[in-house]
Amino acid sequence: MVATETPQGLTSFPVTKMCALLSVGIPIFASVAGVKHWFLLYIDPFISEYKQYYRFLTFQVAAVNETDVILLTLIWYYFRHLERLFGSRKYISLITLSWAYTSVAIIVAAWVFNLIPFFKWNRFTSGAIPIVMSLFHFYKEHTPQMYQFDVKLIKPLGARSKQLKWTFNDQFVINALVAILLLNQGLVSIATGFLSWMCGVFIERGLFPGFDMFRVPFFKQSSQSASTGIMASESHSSTPDLDGAAVTPGPNNGDDEHGDEPGDEPARPLGVQFLNTFRM
Amino acid sequence: MEIDGNTVLLLFVFLFILYSNPSGDGVTSQYEYIQLQTLKAQYQDEFAQFGNLSHSSNFRNITGLKLSYGDVLRQPDINATYPIQGKDYDHWFTDQNYTLLPEAVSDQVNNEIWATKHNVFPPNVTSTLRGRVVNSHDGFLPMPMPIPEYYEPAQDLIQNRPSLSEPYVADPGDYTGSHNITFDEGEIVMEIISTDSTSSPLEPEKRFHNSQSDKWRFLHLEIHLSDLAENQKHSISTKAIYDIRNGRILAVSESAKFHSLFALPHYMNLKEEDETIYNEVKTLVEEYWNATDFFNTRTMAYLQNSYAAANSRCEFLAFLQLEPWWGYSKEQIKTIDEELVWPLGRRANLSSLPPINVSSGLIYSPDCGVKLHMNNVSGLRHELQIKKMRNVLLLGALLLASQIYLLLRQMHHTNTPSMVNKISYWGLSLMNLVDGALAIIFFYMTSSFAALFQPLIVCSFACLILASVFEMRYMISVYASQANERNVSLFTLLRRSTDGDERTAPAVILDEASISSSLYRSYIFKTFFSMIVILSMTTWPRSLRVPVESFAVFVLNSYWVPQIVRNAIKGNEPRRGTTGNSSRRNQNKPPLLWSFVIGTSVIRFLPAAYAFSVPSNIFYHHQDRPFVALVALWLIFQMAVLYSQDVVGARWFLPNYTIPDGYGYHKAISAGELLEHGSSENYTIDCAICMTDVAVYVEDIPETHKVDQHEYMVTPCGHIFHTGCLENWLSYKLQCPVCRSPLPPL
Repeated sequence: MVATETPQGLTSFPVTKMCALLSVGIPIFASVAGVKHWFLLYIDPFISEYKQYYRFLTFQVAAVNETDVILLTLIWYYFRHLERLFGSRKYISLITLSWAYTSVAIIVAAWVFNLIPFFKWNRFTSGAIPIVMSLFHFYKEHTPQMYQFDVKLIKPLGARSKQLKWTFNDQFVINALVAILLLNQGLVSIATGFLSWMCGVFIERGLFPGFDMFRVPFFKQSSQSASTGIMASESHSSTPDLDGAAVTPGPNNGDDEHGDEPGDEPARPLGVQFLNTFRM
Repeated sequence: MEIDGNTVLLLFVFLFILYSNPSGDGVTSQYEYIQLQTLKAQYQDEFAQFGNLSHSSNFRNITGLKLSYGDVLRQPDINATYPIQGKDYDHWFTDQNYTLLPEAVSDQVNNEIWATKHNVFPPNVTSTLRGRVVNSHDGFLPMPMPIPEYYEPAQDLIQNRPSLSEPYVADPGDYTGSHNITFDEGEIVMEIISTDSTSSPLEPEKRFHNSQSDKWRFLHLEIHLSDLAENQKHSISTKAIYDIRNGRILAVSESAKFHSLFALPHYMNLKEEDETIYNEVKTLVEEYWNATDFFNTRTMAYLQNSYAAANSRCEFLAFLQLEPWWGYSKEQIKTIDEELVWPLGRRANLSSLPPINVSSGLIYSPDCGVKLHMNNVSGLRHELQIKKMRNVLLLGALLLASQIYLLLRQMHHTNTPSMVNKISYWGLSLMNLVDGALAIIFFYMTSSFAALFQPLIVCSFACLILASVFEMRYMISVYASQANERNVSLFTLLRRSTDGDERTAPAVILDEASISSSLYRSYIFKTFFSMIVILSMTTWPRSLRVPVESFAVFVLNSYWVPQIVRNAIKGNEPRRGTTGNSSRRNQNKPPLLWSFVIGTSVIRFLPAAYAFSVPSNIFYHHQDRPFVALVALWLIFQMAVLYSQDVVGARWFLPNYTIPDGYGYHKAISAGELLEHGSSENYTIDCAICMTDVAVYVEDIPETHKVDQHEYMVTPCGHIFHTGCLENWLSYKLQCPVCRSPLPPL
């Protein structure tokens, strides 16, 4: 039985935490160090003239635009359900796969597109838009809609206009975030987003292999992970079955370890001690 | 508030004061108005004359250019009121009969300085160049260059009109006064400021379109001269023309006595190579004049500043020849320029870019008769210099981050009051002073280095977090744990006993909140005070600054000394001596982590080592390698003493007779004391912590002599507990659990 409440905070979502922190941290570092241009990809002049092929690897690493940074960070946060569902290792493997497949797909598509003499696809998006769009397919596939609500505007455009009705569901925030993200870099990001979303579909259907077999090596499972149970069950069954794998992580399974006495003063972590310093 | 007539009147007076300040051009009186109008009329007249000038005609009535060196040579007390009889106004030759330069100087400029032919030179030379100048003491005749009298401020309030009389009639005065350059050898700093936008402190920034930007650039050069001891300092603000094809720069200072803008075309064409040079430079000056609206934008501030500059400084003409950028094509230089301005990863190979190098240069002052030669004047392109500074700052931020990490580990290591008690407050406070002052200085610097705003703010933030959150938090807990020692003499502390020492024990030990507020107060005060001292130190003359700075660096690098003293006071036992009892050994572990000691020393030593020993450091700090070595040895010595205290005991360097015995918790009690505690029949006392019986050793009662004295502890205030109970308690608080009087630590 799946616990409906998502655990608080990001302590049990190490991969989500890493992605969200990196998608803020790398742009800040790039901005402070003055190396934002490492994360730009244009065919002319970077590839055709300067032969800087490393940019194929870096263009998804950081967004150079502040709004994109914020949007991507928020979207990573919303995607934490995926980490809970798949387990940290499978999730990071999926991210890696998406990164590889979307990069290849976009570059091949741009190359094919540029064979047409009249058009030119020169600019590429910056930031993890392709990865996020590929994961968005998985998010949509595996997140059930919990509720929906209507917004009705009665005669908003004068007396003779009809009543307007909009239906929203509980996912409208992430839908809106993704929509803004897609529009934010113009036509290129819409095309890139669509391509990447297709990549997500292909990865899930097995057309792009690796979703079931590929796992990132050297991944250390932290004991705090939300999905320890999942990892255990996954290692037992050779074909991971999502329904069977979604065992309750059990947020309250540590209560018989220390026998906390009710009157005992709880230990003050360092953070609390700092805050207490300023509480006068 | 009730509004009556008086209030309204007050309000009007207030508004009058508020709005009656000087208008845009800063004129506050009729006198000043006439002054400014005269200045503008003068400039307009001179510009009209400039328009009629050709490459073969002489200056006529232009301030500062009326006389030539030859005129003064012939008649040293010449009155230069225009027109001068017998002066040839219709021709122009570049000899001393026409120019301000003596023959020797102009020959030198033509044959030695401006000797390089056409070559490839960087069009954008924005940079700060540094080097040496040598005074040649040739004894040239100073030329009279009086300030027109309308520049002078009003003598009294009644005076309405400035004197418009010819200044040459008046006493010529001491033109080579105290402001003259008298040193033999000095340092020069030249800031070459941007080309196509014309900003200077006195004029609002404007962009002007330079139609010949591939050949000529208009520059501002700020030249700072000082002797090696920095006793004499001269700052000259000049306007300059840069000949990109030949790599020549002509800079001429501007003030009330020298309207040098109009001299640029003639002096740029000093070699008389070409009439087109004259015409092109003249076009450039006219474009500059029109774009800045030079005539209309003169303000009172400009007038006063140029009067002050004319009074306190000599006028200068500087002739510079840049070294060509051998082996670069024009396209490469264009790419380099674009990459510097807007980095994208073009193939510019910036790391091997040559510096802007003045291969030869000469500065001549007509009114002081001084000639200076430049040696080894060079500097990086401005953007490269900024990049270098940015990298150094990023490394600094990395150091700060590792210092924060080390401090957190150290705080985690000493998490009980008994352990914190062994840390020296003053050692931490020395580090805290440096970090706090650095935070403010970084923040202050953001205003003067706009291009480095982000790295500076990051460094400032890291320093602030380190100093005012982590270090302060640690200092508060150290201070709180040592609060009961505040008014105890050093000897008592060494003895760790309070026997026979009458003292007023503080009945109430301050709580952390009040300690923290008082520590924060002093922290903020100390930080700002040291910031002001440090910032003002940068302007002191070298003979004063260097010793003070060295002393301060040495003292600020002595942060382990207080810890050594503290260790000696607390008297840790040697590591070898402690055997057996693991809890005793735990009590005796050194208070500072070795990773913290070594890491902190390295982190704090590296910036000083960089500033004192890397020749091209970004602070332009002087080099003193022996001093760096001394500081390093001093730090190593401190760490060695700390280590020796850890190994052979904290008091090894104190002679034996100075070390009194410490307070012993384990001792026998007398029967009287037993009675005070309400003895039971089997000579036990209730332990107030665990509420069970403590068997005690009573001297007078032989039955109790089989009791081990190490099983219980007697506090100085006479309370008795189990050893385990009280040791546990002492790791939380150094207070008696019964009467709250302070207890000596274990």
